[in-house]
Amino acid sequence: MQFFNSAFFWFMEGVLVCLAVIGFKVWMEDRKIPMPFWKWILLGMWALFFGFTIAFVGTNLGEKEPKAALLGGIIFGLLTVISGVGLWRVLKTGKK
Amino acid sequence: MDRRQFLKATGAASATLGSAGLGFFGYQAGRDPESYTGWETHEGAQQTFNRKRHAKENPHYKKVGQTSRVDARTDVIFYRRGDLMRYWRDDTGIEGLPAHLRAYYKEHPDVLEQDLFQRKEIFPKMMEDSRKHRDQFILSSAWSNAMGAVSPDRINQPPEKSDFPQPSRFGGNTEPLNMKSPEKTSKLIKKIAHELGSTLVGIAELNPDWVYQYPMKGRGFEADEPLQIPEHWKYAVVVGTPMSWDPMYANPNYGTSNDAYSRSRIIAFRVASFIKQLGYPARPHTPGADYDLMVPPVAIDAGLGEQGRHGVLITPELGCNFRPAVITTDLPLVPDKPIEFGVQSFCKTCKICAENCPSGAISMGGKEVVRGYLRYQLDREKCHTFWSSNLGNMGCRICIAVCPYTRKSNWLHKAALKVSANDPTGLSHSALTELQKRFYPGPDPQKYYMPSLGGENASFRRPPWWLRSEDFIEF
Repeated sequence: MQFFNSAFFWFMEGVLVCLAVIGFKVWMEDRKIPMPFWKWILLGMWALFFGFTIAFVGTNLGEKEPKAALLGGIIFGLLTVISGVGLWRVLKTGKK
Repeated sequence: MDRRQFLKATGAASATLGSAGLGFFGYQAGRDPESYTGWETHEGAQQTFNRKRHAKENPHYKKVGQTSRVDARTDVIFYRRGDLMRYWRDDTGIEGLPAHLRAYYKEHPDVLEQDLFQRKEIFPKMMEDSRKHRDQFILSSAWSNAMGAVSPDRINQPPEKSDFPQPSRFGGNTEPLNMKSPEKTSKLIKKIAHELGSTLVGIAELNPDWVYQYPMKGRGFEADEPLQIPEHWKYAVVVGTPMSWDPMYANPNYGTSNDAYSRSRIIAFRVASFIKQLGYPARPHTPGADYDLMVPPVAIDAGLGEQGRHGVLITPELGCNFRPAVITTDLPLVPDKPIEFGVQSFCKTCKICAENCPSGAISMGGKEVVRGYLRYQLDREKCHTFWSSNLGNMGCRICIAVCPYTRKSNWLHKAALKVSANDPTGLSHSALTELQKRFYPGPDPQKYYMPSLGGENASFRRPPWWLRSEDFIEF
Protein backbone atom coordinates (compact mmCIF):
# COMPACT_ATOMS: atom_id res chain seq x y z
CA MET A 1 0.00 0.00 0.00
CA GLN A 2 1.44 3.34 -1.04
CA PHE A 3 0.33 6.86 -0.10
CA PHE A 4 -1.65 7.46 -3.29
CA ASN A 5 -3.63 4.26 -2.72
CA SER A 6 -4.24 4.89 0.95
CA ALA A 7 -7.40 5.91 2.76
CA PHE A 8 -5.56 9.02 4.02
CA PHE A 9 -4.97 10.13 0.43
CA TRP A 10 -8.68 9.91 -0.32
CA PHE A 11 -9.47 11.76 2.89
CA MET A 12 -7.10 14.52 1.75
CA GLU A 13 -8.71 14.51 -1.69
CA GLY A 14 -12.08 14.98 -0.01
CA VAL A 15 -10.78 17.93 2.00
CA LEU A 16 -9.28 19.51 -1.13
CA VAL A 17 -12.54 19.05 -3.07
CA CYS A 18 -14.48 20.73 -0.25
CA LEU A 19 -12.07 23.67 -0.22
CA ALA A 20 -12.22 23.91 -4.02
CA VAL A 21 -16.03 23.92 -3.95
CA ILE A 22 -16.11 26.65 -1.28
CA GLY A 23 -13.60 28.73 -3.24
CA PHE A 24 -15.57 28.28 -6.45
CA LYS A 25 -18.83 29.23 -4.70
CA VAL A 26 -17.29 32.45 -3.36
CA TRP A 27 -15.78 33.22 -6.76
CA MET A 28 -19.14 32.77 -8.49
CA GLU A 29 -20.87 34.93 -5.87
CA ASP A 30 -18.32 37.70 -6.45
CA ARG A 31 -19.04 37.48 -10.17
CA LYS A 32 -22.77 37.58 -9.37
CA ILE A 33 -23.45 34.30 -11.13
CA PRO A 34 -26.22 32.27 -9.52
CA MET A 35 -25.49 28.56 -8.92
CA PRO A 36 -28.72 26.53 -8.66
CA PHE A 37 -28.44 22.80 -7.91
CA TRP A 38 -28.48 21.71 -11.55
CA LYS A 39 -25.42 23.80 -12.29
CA TRP A 40 -23.62 22.09 -9.42
CA ILE A 41 -24.61 18.71 -10.85
CA LEU A 42 -23.24 19.67 -14.29
CA LEU A 43 -20.08 21.00 -12.70
CA GLY A 44 -19.70 17.80 -10.65
CA MET A 45 -20.05 15.65 -13.77
CA TRP A 46 -17.46 17.73 -15.58
CA ALA A 47 -15.10 17.53 -12.60
CA LEU A 48 -15.48 13.74 -12.55
CA PHE A 49 -14.61 13.55 -16.25
CA PHE A 50 -11.67 15.89 -15.71
CA GLY A 51 -10.46 13.69 -12.84
CA PHE A 52 -10.94 10.58 -14.98
CA THR A 53 -8.77 12.11 -17.71
CA ILE A 54 -5.95 12.88 -15.32
CA ALA A 55 -6.13 9.50 -13.61
CA PHE A 56 -6.33 7.73 -17.00
CA VAL A 57 -3.12 9.36 -18.19
CA GLY A 58 -1.39 8.63 -14.86
CA THR A 59 -2.52 5.00 -14.80
CA ASN A 60 -1.32 4.29 -18.31
CA LEU A 61 2.03 5.94 -17.62
CA GLY A 62 2.28 3.73 -14.52
CA GLU A 63 1.47 0.69 -16.65
CA LYS A 64 4.18 1.68 -19.13
CA GLU A 65 1.62 2.27 -21.86
CA PRO A 66 2.80 5.70 -23.14
CA LYS A 67 0.76 5.47 -26.33
CA ALA A 68 -2.45 4.96 -24.40
CA ALA A 69 -1.49 7.79 -22.05
CA LEU A 70 -0.78 10.16 -24.93
CA LEU A 71 -3.83 9.23 -26.99
CA GLY A 72 -6.07 9.25 -23.93
CA GLY A 73 -4.61 12.56 -22.82
CA ILE A 74 -5.26 14.13 -26.22
CA ILE A 75 -8.73 12.70 -26.78
CA PHE A 76 -10.11 12.96 -23.25
CA GLY A 77 -8.19 16.21 -22.68
CA LEU A 78 -9.75 17.80 -25.75
CA LEU A 79 -13.17 16.57 -24.68
CA THR A 80 -12.56 18.04 -21.23
CA VAL A 81 -11.58 21.43 -22.66
CA ILE A 82 -14.47 21.55 -25.13
CA SER A 83 -17.03 20.44 -22.54
CA GLY A 84 -15.43 22.86 -20.06
CA VAL A 85 -15.95 25.79 -22.44
CA GLY A 86 -19.54 24.70 -23.03
CA LEU A 87 -20.09 24.28 -19.32
CA TRP A 88 -18.72 27.74 -18.58
CA ARG A 89 -21.18 29.25 -21.04
CA VAL A 90 -24.01 27.42 -19.33
CA LEU A 91 -22.80 28.39 -15.86
CA LYS A 92 -22.64 32.06 -16.86
CA THR A 93 -26.33 32.17 -17.72
CA GLY A 94 -28.40 34.25 -15.33
CA LYS A 95 -25.54 36.59 -14.46
CA LYS A 96 -26.91 39.61 -12.65
CA MET B 1 -5.99 39.63 1.63
CA ASP B 2 -9.58 39.59 2.86
CA ARG B 3 -11.49 36.46 3.84
CA ARG B 4 -13.20 36.02 0.47
CA GLN B 5 -9.95 36.37 -1.42
CA PHE B 6 -8.35 33.84 0.92
CA LEU B 7 -11.17 31.34 0.29
CA LYS B 8 -10.85 31.76 -3.48
CA ALA B 9 -7.09 31.36 -3.42
CA THR B 10 -7.36 28.30 -1.18
CA GLY B 11 -10.01 26.83 -3.47
CA ALA B 12 -7.83 27.31 -6.54
CA ALA B 13 -4.82 25.81 -4.79
CA SER B 14 -6.93 22.87 -3.56
CA ALA B 15 -8.28 22.20 -7.04
CA THR B 16 -4.73 22.18 -8.43
CA LEU B 17 -3.41 19.95 -5.66
CA GLY B 18 -6.40 17.61 -5.89
CA SER B 19 -5.93 17.25 -9.66
CA ALA B 20 -2.25 16.54 -9.28
CA GLY B 21 -3.13 14.01 -6.57
CA LEU B 22 -5.42 12.19 -9.01
CA GLY B 23 -2.60 12.01 -11.52
CA PHE B 24 -0.28 10.52 -8.92
CA PHE B 25 -3.03 8.17 -7.77
CA GLY B 26 -3.37 6.94 -11.37
CA TYR B 27 0.37 6.52 -11.77
CA GLN B 28 0.50 4.56 -8.55
CA ALA B 29 -2.49 2.44 -9.57
CA GLY B 30 -0.76 1.59 -12.84
CA ARG B 31 2.52 0.46 -11.32
CA ASP B 32 1.43 -0.76 -7.90
CA PRO B 33 2.56 -4.33 -7.17
CA GLU B 34 -0.96 -4.93 -5.87
CA SER B 35 -2.26 -4.58 -9.42
CA TYR B 36 -0.14 -7.61 -10.36
CA THR B 37 -2.82 -9.70 -8.80
CA GLY B 38 -2.32 -13.41 -8.36
CA TRP B 39 -0.66 -15.05 -5.44
CA GLU B 40 0.33 -12.22 -3.13
CA THR B 41 -2.04 -13.22 -0.35
CA HIS B 42 -3.26 -16.62 0.70
CA GLU B 43 -6.64 -15.43 1.83
CA GLY B 44 -8.53 -15.71 -1.43
CA ALA B 45 -8.50 -11.95 -1.68
CA GLN B 46 -7.95 -12.10 -5.45
CA GLN B 47 -11.15 -14.00 -6.15
CA THR B 48 -13.02 -10.73 -6.10
CA PHE B 49 -15.67 -11.12 -8.79
CA ASN B 50 -19.27 -11.44 -7.66
CA ARG B 51 -19.93 -14.81 -9.27
CA LYS B 52 -23.35 -15.31 -7.69
CA ARG B 53 -24.67 -12.31 -9.60
CA HIS B 54 -23.57 -13.85 -12.93
CA ALA B 55 -24.31 -17.50 -12.13
CA LYS B 56 -26.23 -19.60 -14.67
CA GLU B 57 -27.80 -23.03 -14.42
CA ASN B 58 -25.95 -24.24 -17.51
CA PRO B 59 -22.56 -23.40 -19.00
CA HIS B 60 -22.38 -21.12 -22.06
CA TYR B 61 -21.23 -23.86 -24.44
CA LYS B 62 -24.02 -25.78 -26.09
CA LYS B 63 -24.36 -29.52 -26.53
CA VAL B 64 -25.63 -29.96 -30.08
CA GLY B 65 -25.19 -33.60 -30.95
CA GLN B 66 -23.52 -36.86 -30.20
CA THR B 67 -20.55 -36.12 -28.00
CA SER B 68 -17.24 -37.91 -27.98
CA ARG B 69 -14.17 -37.79 -25.81
CA VAL B 70 -10.66 -36.68 -26.68
CA ASP B 71 -8.09 -39.25 -27.69
CA ALA B 72 -5.03 -37.83 -25.93
CA ARG B 73 -2.69 -39.79 -28.16
CA THR B 74 -3.78 -37.98 -31.31
CA ASP B 75 -5.94 -35.01 -30.35
CA VAL B 76 -3.40 -33.54 -27.94
CA ILE B 77 -1.01 -32.00 -30.41
CA PHE B 78 2.08 -31.99 -28.19
CA TYR B 79 1.65 -35.68 -27.67
CA ARG B 80 0.94 -36.50 -31.30
CA ARG B 81 3.78 -34.41 -32.72
CA GLY B 82 6.10 -35.77 -30.06
CA ASP B 83 5.30 -39.30 -31.17
CA LEU B 84 5.71 -38.32 -34.81
CA MET B 85 9.17 -36.96 -34.02
CA ARG B 86 9.99 -40.19 -32.22
CA TYR B 87 8.71 -42.72 -34.72
CA TRP B 88 8.85 -41.09 -38.16
CA ARG B 89 11.33 -42.48 -40.66
CA ASP B 90 11.41 -41.20 -44.22
CA ASP B 91 11.94 -44.69 -45.61
CA THR B 92 9.00 -46.32 -43.83
CA GLY B 93 6.74 -43.26 -43.78
CA ILE B 94 3.30 -43.60 -42.28
CA GLU B 95 3.61 -47.39 -42.16
CA GLY B 96 6.34 -47.14 -39.55
CA LEU B 97 4.13 -45.29 -37.08
CA PRO B 98 2.23 -46.87 -34.16
CA ALA B 99 -1.19 -48.19 -35.16
CA HIS B 100 -3.24 -45.38 -33.62
CA LEU B 101 -1.12 -42.67 -35.28
CA ARG B 102 -1.20 -44.49 -38.60
CA ALA B 103 -4.99 -44.72 -38.45
CA TYR B 104 -5.29 -41.06 -37.45
CA TYR B 105 -3.06 -39.77 -40.22
CA LYS B 106 -4.78 -41.93 -42.81
CA GLU B 107 -8.01 -40.28 -41.79
CA HIS B 108 -6.41 -36.80 -41.65
CA PRO B 109 -3.73 -36.58 -44.37
CA ASP B 110 -3.81 -32.76 -44.23
CA VAL B 111 -2.79 -32.91 -40.58
CA LEU B 112 0.10 -35.24 -41.43
CA GLU B 113 1.26 -32.72 -44.01
CA GLN B 114 1.24 -29.93 -41.45
CA ASP B 115 2.89 -32.04 -38.77
CA LEU B 116 5.67 -33.04 -41.15
CA PHE B 117 6.07 -29.43 -42.27
CA GLN B 118 6.64 -28.43 -38.65
CA ARG B 119 9.10 -31.27 -38.17
CA LYS B 120 11.05 -30.96 -41.39
CA GLU B 121 10.88 -27.26 -42.22
CA ILE B 122 10.25 -25.28 -39.05
CA PHE B 123 12.19 -27.28 -36.50
CA PRO B 124 15.58 -27.15 -38.32
CA LYS B 125 15.14 -23.42 -38.98
CA MET B 126 14.32 -22.86 -35.34
CA MET B 127 17.47 -24.71 -34.29
CA GLU B 128 19.57 -22.64 -36.69
CA ASP B 129 18.03 -19.31 -35.61
CA SER B 130 18.32 -20.35 -32.02
CA ARG B 131 22.10 -20.64 -32.34
CA LYS B 132 22.27 -17.13 -33.82
CA HIS B 133 19.84 -15.26 -31.57
CA ARG B 134 19.56 -17.22 -28.37
CA ASP B 135 21.79 -14.83 -26.34
CA GLN B 136 18.93 -12.36 -26.21
CA PHE B 137 16.79 -14.84 -24.29
CA ILE B 138 19.33 -16.31 -21.87
CA LEU B 139 17.83 -14.69 -18.78
CA SER B 140 14.24 -15.43 -19.70
CA SER B 141 15.14 -19.05 -20.40
CA ALA B 142 17.05 -19.30 -17.15
CA TRP B 143 14.11 -17.84 -15.28
CA SER B 144 11.63 -20.12 -17.02
CA ASN B 145 13.73 -23.20 -16.34
CA ALA B 146 14.21 -22.15 -12.72
CA MET B 147 10.44 -21.92 -12.31
CA GLY B 148 10.06 -25.41 -13.74
CA ALA B 149 12.91 -26.85 -11.70
CA VAL B 150 10.78 -27.71 -8.67
CA SER B 151 7.99 -30.13 -9.32
CA PRO B 152 6.26 -32.99 -7.52
CA ASP B 153 6.91 -36.45 -8.94
CA ARG B 154 4.66 -37.48 -11.79
CA ILE B 155 1.74 -39.72 -10.95
CA ASN B 156 2.49 -42.87 -12.88
CA GLN B 157 0.12 -45.27 -11.21
CA PRO B 158 -3.47 -46.03 -12.10
CA PRO B 159 -6.21 -44.32 -10.08
CA GLU B 160 -7.04 -47.38 -8.00
CA LYS B 161 -3.50 -47.26 -6.63
CA SER B 162 -2.44 -43.63 -6.70
CA ASP B 163 -5.66 -41.86 -5.74
CA PHE B 164 -6.44 -43.54 -2.45
CA PRO B 165 -5.05 -42.57 0.93
CA GLN B 166 -2.17 -44.67 2.16
CA PRO B 167 -1.10 -45.14 5.77
CA SER B 168 1.64 -42.64 6.45
CA ARG B 169 3.99 -41.82 9.28
CA PHE B 170 2.71 -38.26 8.91
CA GLY B 171 -0.75 -39.33 9.97
CA GLY B 172 -3.87 -39.00 7.84
CA ASN B 173 -6.82 -41.32 7.53
CA THR B 174 -7.24 -44.27 5.25
CA GLU B 175 -10.98 -44.40 6.01
CA PRO B 176 -13.18 -41.46 4.98
CA LEU B 177 -13.94 -39.09 7.83
CA ASN B 178 -17.57 -38.29 8.47
CA MET B 179 -17.78 -34.74 7.14
CA LYS B 180 -20.59 -32.63 8.61
CA SER B 181 -21.96 -31.31 5.31
CA PRO B 182 -20.90 -30.88 1.68
CA GLU B 183 -21.44 -27.11 2.06
CA LYS B 184 -18.97 -26.89 4.94
CA THR B 185 -16.51 -29.20 3.19
CA SER B 186 -16.63 -27.08 0.01
CA LYS B 187 -15.95 -23.96 2.02
CA LEU B 188 -13.06 -25.72 3.75
CA ILE B 189 -11.49 -27.03 0.55
CA LYS B 190 -11.68 -23.59 -1.07
CA LYS B 191 -10.08 -21.99 1.94
CA ILE B 192 -7.33 -24.59 1.97
CA ALA B 193 -6.70 -24.13 -1.76
CA HIS B 194 -6.37 -20.37 -1.25
CA GLU B 195 -4.11 -20.92 1.74
CA LEU B 196 -1.96 -23.14 -0.45
CA GLY B 197 -1.59 -20.28 -2.91
CA SER B 198 -4.37 -20.74 -5.41
CA THR B 199 -5.64 -17.45 -6.85
CA LEU B 200 -8.98 -18.89 -7.98
CA VAL B 201 -10.84 -21.99 -6.83
CA GLY B 202 -14.02 -23.58 -8.12
CA ILE B 203 -15.80 -26.90 -7.82
CA ALA B 204 -17.66 -28.82 -10.54
CA GLU B 205 -19.35 -32.13 -10.89
CA LEU B 206 -17.09 -33.92 -13.37
CA ASN B 207 -18.63 -34.22 -16.83
CA PRO B 208 -17.34 -37.55 -18.27
CA ASP B 209 -17.11 -35.93 -21.72
CA TRP B 210 -14.05 -34.00 -20.54
CA VAL B 211 -12.11 -37.15 -19.59
CA TYR B 212 -9.76 -38.50 -22.26
CA GLN B 213 -11.02 -41.48 -24.21
CA TYR B 214 -7.45 -42.77 -24.51
CA PRO B 215 -5.07 -41.58 -21.83
CA MET B 216 -1.69 -39.93 -21.99
CA LYS B 217 1.32 -42.14 -21.54
CA GLY B 218 2.95 -42.28 -18.14
CA ARG B 219 -0.22 -41.84 -16.12
CA GLY B 220 -0.44 -45.46 -15.03
CA PHE B 221 -3.07 -46.59 -17.50
CA GLU B 222 -2.73 -49.49 -19.92
CA ALA B 223 -1.27 -48.21 -23.18
CA ASP B 224 -3.79 -48.06 -26.04
CA GLU B 225 -6.65 -49.17 -23.79
CA PRO B 226 -9.67 -46.88 -23.41
CA LEU B 227 -9.66 -44.97 -20.15
CA GLN B 228 -12.37 -46.29 -17.85
CA ILE B 229 -13.51 -43.36 -15.73
CA PRO B 230 -13.17 -44.35 -12.07
CA GLU B 231 -16.29 -43.98 -9.96
CA HIS B 232 -14.48 -41.81 -7.46
CA TRP B 233 -13.85 -39.08 -10.07
CA LYS B 234 -17.14 -37.51 -9.10
CA TYR B 235 -16.11 -33.93 -8.39
CA ALA B 236 -13.42 -31.71 -9.78
CA VAL B 237 -11.75 -29.02 -7.71
CA VAL B 238 -10.14 -26.47 -10.02
CA VAL B 239 -7.23 -24.39 -8.73
CA GLY B 240 -4.73 -22.16 -10.48
CA THR B 241 -2.52 -19.11 -10.63
CA PRO B 242 -1.58 -16.50 -13.22
CA MET B 243 1.71 -16.19 -15.06
CA SER B 244 3.91 -13.29 -13.94
CA TRP B 245 2.44 -10.17 -15.47
CA ASP B 246 5.37 -8.26 -16.98
CA PRO B 247 6.93 -11.25 -18.80
CA MET B 248 3.45 -12.31 -19.91
CA TYR B 249 3.03 -8.94 -21.65
CA ALA B 250 6.40 -9.55 -23.32
CA ASN B 251 5.19 -12.71 -25.04
CA PRO B 252 5.92 -14.67 -27.11
CA ASN B 253 9.64 -14.69 -26.40
CA TYR B 254 10.09 -13.51 -22.83
CA GLY B 255 7.02 -14.98 -21.17
CA THR B 256 6.78 -18.50 -19.89
CA SER B 257 4.06 -20.84 -18.76
CA ASN B 258 6.44 -22.54 -16.35
CA ASP B 259 5.92 -20.13 -13.48
CA ALA B 260 2.17 -20.61 -13.22
CA TYR B 261 2.44 -24.26 -14.26
CA SER B 262 4.79 -24.94 -11.40
CA ARG B 263 2.73 -23.03 -8.84
CA SER B 264 -0.57 -24.58 -9.93
CA ARG B 265 0.95 -28.05 -10.03
CA ILE B 266 2.32 -27.79 -6.52
CA ILE B 267 -0.99 -26.41 -5.23
CA ALA B 268 -2.96 -29.24 -6.87
CA PHE B 269 -0.70 -31.88 -5.34
CA ARG B 270 -1.07 -30.24 -1.95
CA VAL B 271 -4.86 -30.03 -2.21
CA ALA B 272 -4.95 -33.69 -3.26
CA SER B 273 -2.79 -34.54 -0.26
CA PHE B 274 -5.14 -32.64 2.05
CA ILE B 275 -8.18 -34.47 0.69
CA LYS B 276 -6.46 -37.82 1.05
CA GLN B 277 -5.70 -37.05 4.69
CA LEU B 278 -9.43 -36.71 5.20
CA GLY B 279 -9.63 -40.30 4.01
CA TYR B 280 -10.97 -39.62 0.50
CA PRO B 281 -9.39 -40.42 -2.86
CA ALA B 282 -7.90 -37.56 -4.86
CA ARG B 283 -5.91 -37.29 -8.08
CA PRO B 284 -4.23 -34.15 -9.38
CA HIS B 285 -4.34 -33.38 -13.11
CA THR B 286 -1.66 -30.82 -13.66
CA PRO B 287 0.39 -28.86 -16.15
CA GLY B 288 2.54 -29.32 -18.18
CA ALA B 289 1.45 -32.80 -19.37
CA ASP B 290 0.00 -34.82 -16.54
CA TYR B 291 -3.68 -34.83 -17.29
CA ASP B 292 -6.38 -37.43 -17.70
CA LEU B 293 -8.88 -34.77 -18.76
CA MET B 294 -9.32 -31.43 -20.50
CA VAL B 295 -9.03 -28.71 -17.90
CA PRO B 296 -10.65 -25.58 -19.46
CA PRO B 297 -14.19 -27.02 -19.77
CA VAL B 298 -13.96 -28.31 -16.21
CA ALA B 299 -12.99 -24.81 -15.09
CA ILE B 300 -15.97 -23.40 -17.01
CA ASP B 301 -18.26 -25.87 -15.25
CA ALA B 302 -16.69 -24.82 -11.94
CA GLY B 303 -17.76 -21.23 -12.54
CA LEU B 304 -14.30 -19.80 -12.98
CA GLY B 305 -14.90 -18.25 -16.39
CA GLU B 306 -15.92 -18.62 -20.02
CA GLN B 307 -14.15 -19.86 -23.12
CA GLY B 308 -12.91 -17.10 -25.42
CA ARG B 309 -12.50 -16.95 -29.18
CA HIS B 310 -8.89 -18.10 -28.78
CA GLY B 311 -10.08 -21.24 -27.03
CA VAL B 312 -8.57 -20.15 -23.74
CA LEU B 313 -10.48 -19.81 -20.48
CA ILE B 314 -11.24 -16.18 -19.62
CA THR B 315 -11.71 -15.44 -15.93
CA PRO B 316 -13.08 -12.14 -14.62
CA GLU B 317 -10.15 -11.54 -12.28
CA LEU B 318 -7.19 -12.57 -14.42
CA GLY B 319 -8.54 -12.62 -17.96
CA CYS B 320 -6.83 -15.50 -19.71
CA ASN B 321 -3.67 -15.14 -17.64
CA PHE B 322 -4.59 -18.22 -15.66
CA ARG B 323 -3.07 -21.70 -15.59
CA PRO B 324 -5.45 -24.14 -13.94
CA ALA B 325 -5.06 -27.62 -12.51
CA VAL B 326 -7.73 -30.07 -11.38
CA ILE B 327 -8.14 -32.48 -8.51
CA THR B 328 -10.69 -35.25 -8.99
CA THR B 329 -12.26 -36.74 -5.88
CA ASP B 330 -15.42 -38.16 -4.37
CA LEU B 331 -15.18 -36.07 -1.22
CA PRO B 332 -18.79 -34.83 -0.95
CA LEU B 333 -18.83 -31.26 -2.25
CA VAL B 334 -21.29 -28.69 -3.57
CA PRO B 335 -20.54 -27.77 -7.19
CA ASP B 336 -20.38 -24.10 -8.13
CA LYS B 337 -22.54 -22.74 -10.91
CA PRO B 338 -21.10 -21.70 -14.27
CA ILE B 339 -20.96 -17.96 -14.88
CA GLU B 340 -21.57 -15.66 -17.81
CA PHE B 341 -20.09 -12.19 -17.68
CA GLY B 342 -20.35 -11.04 -21.27
CA VAL B 343 -17.44 -12.91 -22.83
CA GLN B 344 -19.49 -14.59 -25.56
CA SER B 345 -20.90 -11.28 -26.74
CA PHE B 346 -17.50 -9.58 -26.41
CA CYS B 347 -15.58 -12.24 -28.33
CA LYS B 348 -18.14 -12.25 -31.12
CA THR B 349 -17.08 -8.77 -32.24
CA CYS B 350 -13.68 -8.18 -30.62
CA LYS B 351 -11.40 -10.52 -32.63
CA ILE B 352 -8.25 -8.77 -31.35
CA CYS B 353 -6.68 -12.16 -30.60
CA ALA B 354 -7.41 -13.39 -34.13
CA GLU B 355 -6.02 -10.21 -35.69
CA ASN B 356 -2.85 -10.41 -33.62
CA CYS B 357 -2.25 -14.14 -33.99
CA PRO B 358 0.79 -14.48 -36.27
CA SER B 359 -0.15 -17.99 -37.36
CA GLY B 360 -3.79 -17.26 -38.18
CA ALA B 361 -4.82 -20.14 -35.91
CA ILE B 362 -7.65 -18.22 -34.27
CA SER B 363 -10.85 -18.17 -36.25
CA MET B 364 -12.34 -14.88 -37.42
CA GLY B 365 -15.61 -16.75 -37.96
CA GLY B 366 -18.17 -18.22 -35.64
CA LYS B 367 -18.33 -21.21 -33.39
CA GLU B 368 -18.09 -24.77 -34.66
CA VAL B 369 -19.36 -28.10 -33.47
CA VAL B 370 -16.45 -29.91 -31.85
CA ARG B 371 -17.06 -33.39 -30.48
CA GLY B 372 -20.74 -32.55 -30.06
CA TYR B 373 -20.31 -29.12 -28.48
CA LEU B 374 -20.70 -25.69 -30.08
CA ARG B 375 -17.59 -23.69 -29.31
CA TYR B 376 -14.75 -21.70 -30.81
CA GLN B 377 -12.17 -23.98 -32.33
CA LEU B 378 -8.50 -23.17 -32.59
CA ASP B 379 -6.43 -24.44 -35.52
CA ARG B 380 -4.05 -26.38 -33.30
CA GLU B 381 -1.64 -27.26 -36.07
CA LYS B 382 -1.06 -23.65 -37.10
CA CYS B 383 -0.85 -22.58 -33.46
CA HIS B 384 1.72 -25.16 -32.47
CA THR B 385 3.76 -24.71 -35.63
CA PHE B 386 4.23 -21.05 -34.74
CA TRP B 387 4.80 -21.44 -31.05
CA SER B 388 7.30 -24.24 -31.46
CA SER B 389 9.35 -21.89 -33.64
CA ASN B 390 9.81 -19.23 -30.97
CA LEU B 391 13.33 -18.73 -29.80
CA GLY B 392 12.47 -17.61 -26.29
CA ASN B 393 10.77 -19.94 -23.88
CA MET B 394 8.78 -22.01 -26.37
CA GLY B 395 5.10 -21.31 -26.56
CA CYS B 396 3.46 -18.13 -27.73
CA ARG B 397 0.72 -16.77 -25.44
CA ILE B 398 0.25 -13.66 -27.62
CA CYS B 399 -3.51 -14.25 -27.57
CA ILE B 400 -3.35 -14.15 -23.77
CA ALA B 401 -1.35 -10.91 -23.70
CA VAL B 402 -3.52 -9.03 -26.21
CA CYS B 403 -6.89 -10.13 -24.83
CA PRO B 404 -8.74 -7.09 -23.42
CA TYR B 405 -9.70 -9.18 -20.39
CA THR B 406 -6.06 -9.84 -19.50
CA ARG B 407 -5.38 -6.60 -17.71
CA LYS B 408 -3.93 -5.82 -14.34
CA SER B 409 -6.16 -5.19 -11.38
CA ASN B 410 -6.59 -1.45 -10.95
CA TRP B 411 -9.47 1.01 -11.01
CA LEU B 412 -9.36 1.50 -14.79
CA HIS B 413 -9.58 -2.12 -15.85
CA LYS B 414 -11.89 -3.07 -13.01
CA ALA B 415 -14.30 -0.35 -14.15
CA ALA B 416 -14.11 -1.59 -17.75
CA LEU B 417 -14.84 -5.14 -16.59
CA LYS B 418 -17.78 -3.98 -14.51
CA VAL B 419 -19.30 -2.10 -17.44
CA SER B 420 -18.70 -4.98 -19.84
CA ALA B 421 -20.00 -7.68 -17.49
CA ASN B 422 -23.24 -5.84 -16.79
CA ASP B 423 -24.06 -4.67 -20.31
CA PRO B 424 -26.74 -6.86 -21.86
CA THR B 425 -26.81 -4.77 -25.06
CA GLY B 426 -23.19 -5.39 -26.04
CA LEU B 427 -22.75 -1.71 -26.96
CA SER B 428 -19.97 -1.23 -24.44
CA HIS B 429 -18.21 -4.29 -25.84
CA SER B 430 -17.73 -2.64 -29.23
CA ALA B 431 -16.62 0.60 -27.59
CA LEU B 432 -14.13 -1.13 -25.28
CA THR B 433 -12.77 -3.19 -28.17
CA GLU B 434 -12.20 -0.04 -30.19
CA LEU B 435 -10.43 1.63 -27.26
CA GLN B 436 -8.28 -1.46 -26.78
CA LYS B 437 -7.28 -1.49 -30.45
CA ARG B 438 -6.44 2.22 -30.54
CA PHE B 439 -4.79 2.58 -27.15
CA TYR B 440 -2.96 -0.71 -26.71
CA PRO B 441 -1.84 -1.91 -30.16
CA GLY B 442 0.86 -4.53 -30.63
CA PRO B 443 3.45 -4.91 -33.38
CA ASP B 444 2.63 -6.23 -36.84
CA PRO B 445 1.97 -9.95 -36.17
CA GLN B 446 4.52 -10.99 -38.82
CA LYS B 447 7.25 -9.39 -36.72
CA TYR B 448 6.72 -12.02 -34.03
CA TYR B 449 8.29 -14.64 -36.30
CA MET B 450 11.92 -15.62 -36.01
CA PRO B 451 14.27 -13.96 -38.55
CA SER B 452 14.58 -16.94 -40.88
CA LEU B 453 10.81 -16.85 -41.32
CA GLY B 454 10.86 -13.11 -42.07
CA GLY B 455 10.23 -11.82 -38.56
CA GLU B 456 12.12 -9.86 -35.94
CA ASN B 457 11.65 -11.92 -32.75
CA ALA B 458 9.26 -9.16 -31.65
CA SER B 459 7.42 -9.15 -28.35
CA PHE B 460 4.03 -7.62 -27.55
CA ARG B 461 5.65 -5.33 -24.97
CA ARG B 462 9.23 -4.66 -23.92
CA PRO B 463 10.49 -7.27 -21.47
CA PRO B 464 10.92 -6.25 -17.82
CA TRP B 465 14.40 -5.03 -16.88
CA TRP B 466 15.29 -8.26 -15.13
CA LEU B 467 14.88 -10.33 -18.30
CA ARG B 468 17.03 -8.19 -20.60
CA SER B 469 20.14 -10.33 -21.02
CA GLU B 470 22.08 -7.60 -22.81
CA ASP B 471 21.93 -5.40 -19.70
CA PHE B 472 23.58 -8.03 -17.51
CA ILE B 473 25.75 -10.27 -19.65
CA GLU B 474 28.79 -9.36 -21.74
CA PHE B 475 28.41 -10.97 -25.16
